[in-house]
Amino acid sequence: MSSKINFYLLEFAINSILRERYKNLFITIVLTLLTFLLSSMFFITNSIKYELNATLDSLPQIIVQNSKAGRHYDIESSKLDEILTISGVSEAVSRVWGYYYFANADVYFTLIGVDEFEEQYKETLSNLTPKMDFTQDSMYVGKGVKEILNSSYYKEYFNFIKPDGSVKKVNIAGVFDSNTELESNDVIVMSKENLREIFELDESSATDIVVKVSNLNEIDTVALKIKQKLPETRVITNEELRVSYENLFNYKGGVFLALFIVSIFTFFIIIYDRASGLSSEAKREVGILKAIGWRVEDVLKEKFYESFIISFFAYFLGVSMAFAFVYLLQAPLLRDVFIGYTDLKPSFELPFVFDIQTLVLVFFLSVPIYIAAIIIPSWRVATLDADEVIR
Amino acid sequence: MILSPEVLTIFILNAIFAIFATIAFILSVKIVLKWDINATTQTQYSLEKYSYLSATIIKYIFAIKVPLFLFFIFTLDKISAVLTGAMCGAGVVDATEYGNYLFILKIINLYLFAYWIVLHNEDVKDEKQAFTKRKFMFFIVAFFFLLTELIVEGIMFGSIDLNEMVSCCGTIYSSSSGSYISKIFSVDTSVLLGLFYANYALMVLLYFFKRAYLFSIANILFIIISIITLIVYFGTYIYELPSHHCTFCFLQSDYYYVGYLIYLLLFVGTFYGIVTGLIVMDEKRREKNYKISILFNTLYVILLSLYPIVFYIKNGVWL
Amino acid sequence: MITLKNVTKRYKLNKVDTITAVEDINITFNEGEIIVLKGASGSGKSTILSLIAALSKPTSGEVIVDTKGISKLPDNFASIYRRDNIGFIFQKYNLIPNISVQENILTPLIPLNLNAEELQKKLHFVMEMYKIEHKKDTLVRNLSGGEQQRVAIARANVNNPKIIIADEPTANLDEKLSLHFIEMLRELKALGKTVIIATHDPLFFDLDFIDREIEVHNGKLLL
Repeated sequence: MSSKINFYLLEFAINSILRERYKNLFITIVLTLLTFLLSSMFFITNSIKYELNATLDSLPQIIVQNSKAGRHYDIESSKLDEILTISGVSEAVSRVWGYYYFANADVYFTLIGVDEFEEQYKETLSNLTPKMDFTQDSMYVGKGVKEILNSSYYKEYFNFIKPDGSVKKVNIAGVFDSNTELESNDVIVMSKENLREIFELDESSATDIVVKVSNLNEIDTVALKIKQKLPETRVITNEELRVSYENLFNYKGGVFLALFIVSIFTFFIIIYDRASGLSSEAKREVGILKAIGWRVEDVLKEKFYESFIISFFAYFLGVSMAFAFVYLLQAPLLRDVFIGYTDLKPSFELPFVFDIQTLVLVFFLSVPIYIAAIIIPSWRVATLDADEVIR
Repeated sequence: MILSPEVLTIFILNAIFAIFATIAFILSVKIVLKWDINATTQTQYSLEKYSYLSATIIKYIFAIKVPLFLFFIFTLDKISAVLTGAMCGAGVVDATEYGNYLFILKIINLYLFAYWIVLHNEDVKDEKQAFTKRKFMFFIVAFFFLLTELIVEGIMFGSIDLNEMVSCCGTIYSSSSGSYISKIFSVDTSVLLGLFYANYALMVLLYFFKRAYLFSIANILFIIISIITLIVYFGTYIYELPSHHCTFCFLQSDYYYVGYLIYLLLFVGTFYGIVTGLIVMDEKRREKNYKISILFNTLYVILLSLYPIVFYIKNGVWL
Repeated sequence: MITLKNVTKRYKLNKVDTITAVEDINITFNEGEIIVLKGASGSGKSTILSLIAALSKPTSGEVIVDTKGISKLPDNFASIYRRDNIGFIFQKYNLIPNISVQENILTPLIPLNLNAEELQKKLHFVMEMYKIEHKKDTLVRNLSGGEQQRVAIARANVNNPKIIIADEPTANLDEKLSLHFIEMLRELKALGKTVIIATHDPLFFDLDFIDREIEVHNGKLLL
């Protein structure tokens, strides 16, 4: 294998590509499209994962829920005291929150209840509580919520429908944003009192209890202790959430990839077919090259140069287009495939995530496969008998 | 079962390798059976053409395999993040009983394919093409190694159980683990180091006396003793921790990816060393191979030796 | 010096039929000779040319060029032999239309991966000799017939081969260009090259600088 790049051969290869421009254009477009789709998919999932991880980081390390018949149920606030006795626990707060279904827009809002003087478990909430007026029935809403309410003509206030059918009016005091949009987009923050009223949750209950652990390495141990003390509860750690989401993404990505394999296979066949169909013109050219002294290896090398040029070009083009599509245009249509996160379609922005491994991955799924497809057709061309061709 | 995109990519490329290697295998068999450079029959002409196809396929597989091997290591690292207990690739390799075999197979195959290519280049330069049959016989053997590697890789990734805890390199590479690695630790370190430097000195000697065949043997032995001393002694100085023997961790960014340099030097040095003795070539090329081999091996020894020396200079004690 | 010894070439048309292109050819061409092989199409003259150029292998017999047997060379060595020793002038020139004059002339040398200086030296030498330097960047498809002819001959000479082979070089040309071609052949002889031309163009017959005219008929030589 020679070590330096033969620039004259490179030039020749480029001209050769241009000589059969329509066929090569077709191949380039198909390859670019495939790379584009693949890269877009990876960029979207990378961004979502990044958002998710950032979200999870801001959550408390352990969540304790009551579990009845396998489903999540209200937990007694008294259990809080029991948890606080476990060593390693730095903080435990009972949370009052829930999902509210807004029929008009067919979306779910996440309602979070806060108390004025309580230590909040999340920084965003502790930034918010000083601003809130707990004397009135008011709430702060996330951006996405505000947009939805606006479109349903709820500009100054909103009417919640309680479980008994009566209405609770709450004023919209303002809009908040937080570090990550996934987190805050569908969120409404109000006093715990109001929330209990809306959900008919009594004083002694809470939705769940969140626990902060002083030493992060001890999360699993503390979780185990809580489970031992309160065996009827469900104890979920941050890490478990992270892993399960990671696997979910890999699964979804895997499905997409499986579909991709089918398209690669088809592509392979197309390439093979097109590359094999040699025009008499092309055959003649190879005959001439061999007559003037090109060896089989030389013709092969030239063909491979052509393939590298085409596939590298398509790769760069596909990846660049994907960057633009996902991060500038925010991936219309395609992102909906992956965001089954909440029913509310968040208008959040996909953060720019640059991951070398992804680029390498896409490279492996495009360039070597194309080159594999042209090995046999190139060889067929290169080993044509020159004398038969020139006759 | 891990179905991450990285693993799927590896599987896809492996499938391509398998298909094309099989084609090359069938052609190799035909060539080995019927090749006759002096014949003027249609069969011989076809075989000559097939010989080009096989060579192209084998070169392709090698060209992709090398970066794919690096990708494989990165993938192991990534998986270690979701596999409980694993902190680096070593944990993933140890997660199944196939991991270690797979790794050794991959490295063997890199050597085998590189060797084939050197053999091929020599063959093509010769008008009589004396090596053709031999080189394709060699490929037939290499093919089975390759196929085994691909199958084992599929099984290994397929059988990784995410719910099962694995050991971290701390336990794998310790003297208390049950595997053969622990037996290495039972040998006195100074004996192993002595063997290491002695082997190196031997190679230098053989270089000056130009005993090619012995030089190759010395290089093969050097691979083994290098890995052993790397685990037992030099690794600990890279990590500056007497109990950290892992062969994977220094590939990570924490250690400035020095692992890649170490393994590269070792592979290139020993590969060219092996080639000098086992392939017939003219003096000029052989001289070049000698030089490359001794250069890379020397760099390897220097690099590794620097770690304990620098440590001693900085701290005044040995680990 | 080129020697053909008992050379026979047969082609298989299909599973059953074989066609004999040439049979039992014995001839020697001396260095510096200009030889015309004349005969009708299908007589076998093109086959003789391709055998000398190692483009095909004889079914039996041997082709020896300067004491070296070239008929059994493996494919890549045959190509190297051609590259270093043979200059081919095709019937329709067979230049590559969408690249420039100098790129066309360089084509035989591309795989050698020579450095730019060496390449340019060889290039300039032939371009000057055939007086197309002034058009070196023009695309070949934009050249006149006569200019293309000169490019074709320049390409054949770029690596300074000892042997020039021309297969029906004037078959597609008008008289003026044909005569022009013949003039350039004269120059090649002056350079000491061995030139073998296969043609049935009567313009080539009875020329003063042609050393030998050999008739080929049904695959055999009529000496």
